[in-house]
Amino acid sequence: MHVVVCVKAVPSTTEVRMDTVTHTIVRDGRQAVINPFDTAALELALRIKDAAGEKGAPAEPVSVSVLSMGIPDTERLLRDALSRGADAAVLLSDRAFAGADTLATSYALACGLAQMPPADLVLCGKMAVDGDTAQIGPEIAGALGVPCVTDVRELAEVGAGRVRVWRGCEGGTELAEAPLPAVLTVAKEAADLRMPSIAGVRFGERARVRVLDAPAAGADPARCGLAGSPTQVVRSFVPQRTSVAVRVEGTVAEQAAQVADLIEGMTL
Amino acid sequence: MVNVHPMDEGYAGFCRDESRTQGSAASISFPVSEDEVRALMRQMSAAGTPVTVQGTRTGLAAGAVPAGGHVMNLAHMDRVLGMRVAPGPDGAAVFCVRLQPGVVLANLRKYLADKSMPTAGWDAESLQTWGELCEGTEQIFPTDPTEASATLGGIVACNASGARSYRYGPARPHIRALRVVLASGETLALERGARVARGRGAERTLALETEQGRRMDLALPSYEMPRTKNASGYYIEDGMDAVDLFVGSDGTLGVVTEIEVELVSAPAVVWAVSCFFTAESQALDFVVAARPELGCALAFEYFDGAALGILRHQKAAGAGFASLPDVDPAAAACVFVELGCADESEALAALERVAALIARVGGSEDATWVARTDVDRERLRFFRHAVPESVNMLIDERRRTDPAITKLGSDMAVPDDRLHDVMALYRETLAEAGLESATWGHIGNNHLHVNVLPRNAADHARGKELFCCWARAVTDMGGAVSAEHGVGKIKRDFLAVMYGEGHLREMARLKCQLDPQGLLGRGNLFSAELLDEERAACAAAAGEKGCALDAAAAGSPAGASPHAAGEVA
Ligand SMILES: Cc1cc2nc3c(=O)[nH]c(=O)nc-3n(C[C@H](O)[C@H](O)[C@H](O)COP(=O)(O)OP(=O)(O)OC[C@H]3O[C@@H](n4cnc5c(N)ncnc54)[C@H](O)[C@@H]3O)c2cc1C
Repeated sequence: MHVVVCVKAVPSTTEVRMDTVTHTIVRDGRQAVINPFDTAALELALRIKDAAGEKGAPAEPVSVSVLSMGIPDTERLLRDALSRGADAAVLLSDRAFAGADTLATSYALACGLAQMPPADLVLCGKMAVDGDTAQIGPEIAGALGVPCVTDVRELAEVGAGRVRVWRGCEGGTELAEAPLPAVLTVAKEAADLRMPSIAGVRFGERARVRVLDAPAAGADPARCGLAGSPTQVVRSFVPQRTSVAVRVEGTVAEQAAQVADLIEGMTL
Repeated sequence: MVNVHPMDEGYAGFCRDESRTQGSAASISFPVSEDEVRALMRQMSAAGTPVTVQGTRTGLAAGAVPAGGHVMNLAHMDRVLGMRVAPGPDGAAVFCVRLQPGVVLANLRKYLADKSMPTAGWDAESLQTWGELCEGTEQIFPTDPTEASATLGGIVACNASGARSYRYGPARPHIRALRVVLASGETLALERGARVARGRGAERTLALETEQGRRMDLALPSYEMPRTKNASGYYIEDGMDAVDLFVGSDGTLGVVTEIEVELVSAPAVVWAVSCFFTAESQALDFVVAARPELGCALAFEYFDGAALGILRHQKAAGAGFASLPDVDPAAAACVFVELGCADESEALAALERVAALIARVGGSEDATWVARTDVDRERLRFFRHAVPESVNMLIDERRRTDPAITKLGSDMAVPDDRLHDVMALYRETLAEAGLESATWGHIGNNHLHVNVLPRNAADHARGKELFCCWARAVTDMGGAVSAEHGVGKIKRDFLAVMYGEGHLREMARLKCQLDPQGLLGRGNLFSAELLDEERAACAAAAGEKGCALDAAAAGSPAGASPHAAGEVA
């Protein structure tokens, strides 16, 4: 079984800088980290691999690959994923991919998947902390023509041609099932990514990261990057904080009266 | 004008520190300037009122716990005063920061890390220096005690240390200058290199001159300090610097009112590895083998199997450690190594050396956690803090059934070649006494905190006896009874074991020369009785010599007698 985890390099702080001219996120590659939701996805993939490796497990070996579209420096993050237990890594890197919206990104990732051994399961983070769209996973599923389960909190069962997961839904979680191959998008709280061992770090540093440019990925230039992005960002801005906090003090009775006044004063 | 408040219930917390020792005092003040400290000291010495100086009371040796008299809390003296560039130890220029003693370590770190300093009121040189610092490589104050809410004054007074003291030493070498208010209200301006002791051994003297023009020729004690990490008693050495006398003086010689610290450049790449071993002996062998071979190590920290077990147990019980990775139940010991390197290729090479060392002692490189990202570094930091915290939680659980139970933590260090010996001593005697324990600490400096975890009052008493026996054995090994927390009030019996009563009296005599009434930090380092005996002897000797001491010096300090609250001009 082949599990592919799509990972994205994001700024290490939540302060996203926007390019005021192109309205795209500024990526200088400095201090980029793996999107925290994707680290949870990677951990779930590694757990599937671990479970298959356990004694007495129904023996279909599992391999885990990581796939990313990004600037050349993203290779560093893929090596980090390898150090934690991934077996192979592919980086889609080409100027032609730059400025991609979610559609162009998911197209590029689908092209990348086509260059890898067929994936039984594609795991993505539920969303990325910089863009916050949560669109990539479902769009990849659309591009591949396979089912997608979003907001996965826990893996219940993988194998025998299907996957069962607990996913977030209004008011709690629900059990969902999909035939393989499938795409899952993973919630951040699903798992904490393991730390690498020294042996893992060595593997990660020595392993080959396959870097594919657009032609090598078999990507149609018209569907990549800015050219392939129908999304038009008209304006981007940092939202102003509009809510105010009122401190309620005094005895319990006084506080209760103040809260009642506040509620009355609100136009609900 | 400084308000002197009566010590009423609202200030009850100021009679305790983190050692949970309870003291008492008649009044308290919160000066904000050196002038206020001087005015207060003059008033207190005129009345013969003892004064206990406080930072944020994170101390673990009850140094800040008052034994009567007045509490002078310096937490409000928290301004950063300025900066300059000066030649450092190896001649290269270093950044120096001048601070009031109440500046909290966490704040200093944040100012430097965020490059955001409260510079209001700074002179032109300071502002220019700050600009230069912001342009250059990251600068840090390298002393890193675990409790970052400690004040710089407290850190100086205790000569505090942290994990990285393995690389950078304790606070002492990073203290460049001090301003000190003496019990008389006079001031000393001390800069490293300006005044050093003369003579050798028993003939050592140190000449000081107050800014008011009084000259003092201090006779220094004759003892030799252990060649280990050490925060036990006064720093005394041939050719010693005057600054070093006041660093680690436990609030007994003067009130530190200004500190100039030297900064160091942060290593460009910091990676950390937690190495798990299946036997404690492997961990010890690893450290002994790694010290000479791992030149880039910033820290070696240790956690024993019992400590790991308690953490595992608390994590399983849902005690808020859920984000920590699971520790393999086979792990009987863990050594955390921090590597500071110039670049990643150097760090990778160091990691390979760690792997080879692990293999050499029979461990496995698979049983390691490597932290190369901020997220992972933060997890290992959390892990290191979670260990003592989980043990404290266990003790708190036990206190619910027996409130008299407290954790007993040791703070002793031995020379490098005695690491195996001291560990064997701890293990054998703990087993003989049938005591439960958890051990962690700064193994790179052979400085472990062995924590006895009493189940009942009898355990507590046995634990205390054991500590006295360890103090003797550690002294015989050439070690120190307090390596970083200071002696304060609760470790002074150990200090007597380490130096012997004669040397203790020499220390008390040194104190009497600077504080003839014995007012400052009463009960720290030595008992008030011993101090008063030495004061009487000093006064008598001075009388014979015909040099009149302050009239009040001959009488006994006002002790715990209530001091009238009011205002000091
Ligand atoms: C959870 C925890 C972890 C800790 N970890 C470490 C550690 O890793 N390493 C370590 O070294 N310590 C550690 N400590 C102990 C403590 O934080 C240090 O001893 C610290 O230096 C005390 O600073 P403070 O401001 O709290 O001083 P206080 O406790 O207020 O005072 C300590 C002593 O310093 C004197 N003093 C304070 N300010 C002045 C001044 N301006 N002039 C003259 N004397 C003064 C006091 O009189 C007293 O004797 C830890 C404590 C806790 C609670």
